[in-house]
Amino acid sequence: MTSVLGRLLYYECAVPLVRYRHFLVGKPPGVARSLEQRLAELNYKDPTLHFKVNIGFKPPVPPKASSVRKELAALRCSKELEHLARTQKLEIPLEAVEETWKTTGAPFHIKTIAEHYGVFQDLFGDAYFYPVKPLDIDYKSGDLYHPVYRGNVIKPSEASKPPEVQYKSDPNTLWTLILTNPDGHFTEENAEYILWFIGNIPGCNLNKGDVIWDYLQPFPAFGTGYQRCIFILFKQDQKIDYSSMKKDIPCLQLSKRTFKTEDFYRQHQKDITPAGLAFFQTDWDPSLTDFYHNVLQMKEPRYEYDFPEPYIAPQEWFPRRKPFNIYQDKYRDQKAIAKEYLLKKFKNRHPFEKPPTPLRFPNAHPIDHKIPSWLKEEMKKDRLGWGRINDY
Amino acid sequence: MTKCLLSVKHLKTFSVLKHSTNALVAIENDEIKPCVYNRNPRNLERMRIAYKPTGFHLEAPGREFWHKIDVKQNNRYVTASVIHWTGPKVIEASTKEWAIKKYLYRCTDAAAYRNLAKVFAQRCLESGISNLYCNIDAPPEGKVAVFLSEVEKAGLSLTEPTRFLPWRPWDRHRPEKPWEVLE
Repeated sequence: MTSVLGRLLYYECAVPLVRYRHFLVGKPPGVARSLEQRLAELNYKDPTLHFKVNIGFKPPVPPKASSVRKELAALRCSKELEHLARTQKLEIPLEAVEETWKTTGAPFHIKTIAEHYGVFQDLFGDAYFYPVKPLDIDYKSGDLYHPVYRGNVIKPSEASKPPEVQYKSDPNTLWTLILTNPDGHFTEENAEYILWFIGNIPGCNLNKGDVIWDYLQPFPAFGTGYQRCIFILFKQDQKIDYSSMKKDIPCLQLSKRTFKTEDFYRQHQKDITPAGLAFFQTDWDPSLTDFYHNVLQMKEPRYEYDFPEPYIAPQEWFPRRKPFNIYQDKYRDQKAIAKEYLLKKFKNRHPFEKPPTPLRFPNAHPIDHKIPSWLKEEMKKDRLGWGRINDY
Repeated sequence: MTKCLLSVKHLKTFSVLKHSTNALVAIENDEIKPCVYNRNPRNLERMRIAYKPTGFHLEAPGREFWHKIDVKQNNRYVTASVIHWTGPKVIEASTKEWAIKKYLYRCTDAAAYRNLAKVFAQRCLESGISNLYCNIDAPPEGKVAVFLSEVEKAGLSLTEPTRFLPWRPWDRHRPEKPWEVLE
């Protein structure tokens, strides 16, 4: 009898040292498709249906090799340059590099990074454009300039005043500049808040344009993370009458700032062509509390990311090798657990006296040996501040 | 031309925690929904809660990153790029570009690597990407090591933060939420 029980216990507790038959589920590796191949098959999109349309200007053509060959040959023979390169003293002028880049590689690079930030997908759906017109946008706060590039972070307090916008243009041409925030609309899922809209700008003189929506600083709510604020410059073929869209200035009612760039573009696509793009990311900062209360005159909303609920396996009648208290707490009413902890907390706390000083060496204090071990563990955890005690 | 409106797959839900204080209600801005959808595909990566593929334990090179730095050289040019874990090359700087090439003596020497690093780092910072995963095993005092040190000097960090996983009631510790820490 004892030997049978002993054997049973042995099988229960010991790690099974059994080697099972070798078997394969499905085709062997090498024959079966890899995960990558299977995902590619699953995510396949038919190019005849899912294609993107270029709605902008043609990107610049890079200089031909034949046209720069002479200049390059001169560089390769330059003794002075060779000396600098060999002694590790060659420093290329970064500003000049950027200037040349703006007219050669920039439209391609800005388009790539804008696609990475989902700019075209969220603003234009299945359309894209090459930002051929370089935009120089600077927010000035105090003596500091905060330039807008393509995804850098600018805090709302730094963007409280309208920025200085510069681009090269002929004074006889007309332009439309918009600043829009596609993230964090408070009532609609796929809508944007328009933060700035100036139409019929002659050249780059923004003061002479028609202000349809006046400038409103970005106001990302607490907890929503980083929101994109996107500047788009459209080139107009002719003067456009925006008077139907015009709002009273200052426009502080957020529902009147609801905007959809795609709808706007569809309405005026015969007369406008997107030419410039710049965007920054912004997240909550303490200056916004005041802005919500005094300017927008609303309660300050606070959000938190909604994590998916953890998976909890269906409860078993006889869970094996699981500590019964930890196991059962997963299936109990969470409010009952909270009540238990709170009652325990208030029992030891006098309403008018100072709370007891925390123990210096919590686990050096002996626990009655008659207490069951699981309860001892619980007491130790509470003393150390581990686990559920932090929640209540 | 068929245009499907905005895909919903990048949307992430946020639910309202609490309203802070009362305020005057003169402009009707208070009617807001309990959920806000932040469509920015880079938001969760910046908040450190986006998914990162872990790959297999013994796999080399590892694939646990959001953005990875990559330096490649061929016979003529050096190209540095940032690769996203989903595959696309999102930022690129190369000595092939006329803007850089026209100031260099040779397109693959140490001076080219050092200067390319500066341009590359500047482009990354301007694009809002300042943390990159790096698994380049560069021999010390080689050209690639020069490149990497120069990139770090310019303000890029060659490590990515770890992913923040939400704590559960049965976990021992309650780590601080990254988005509640103000810089």
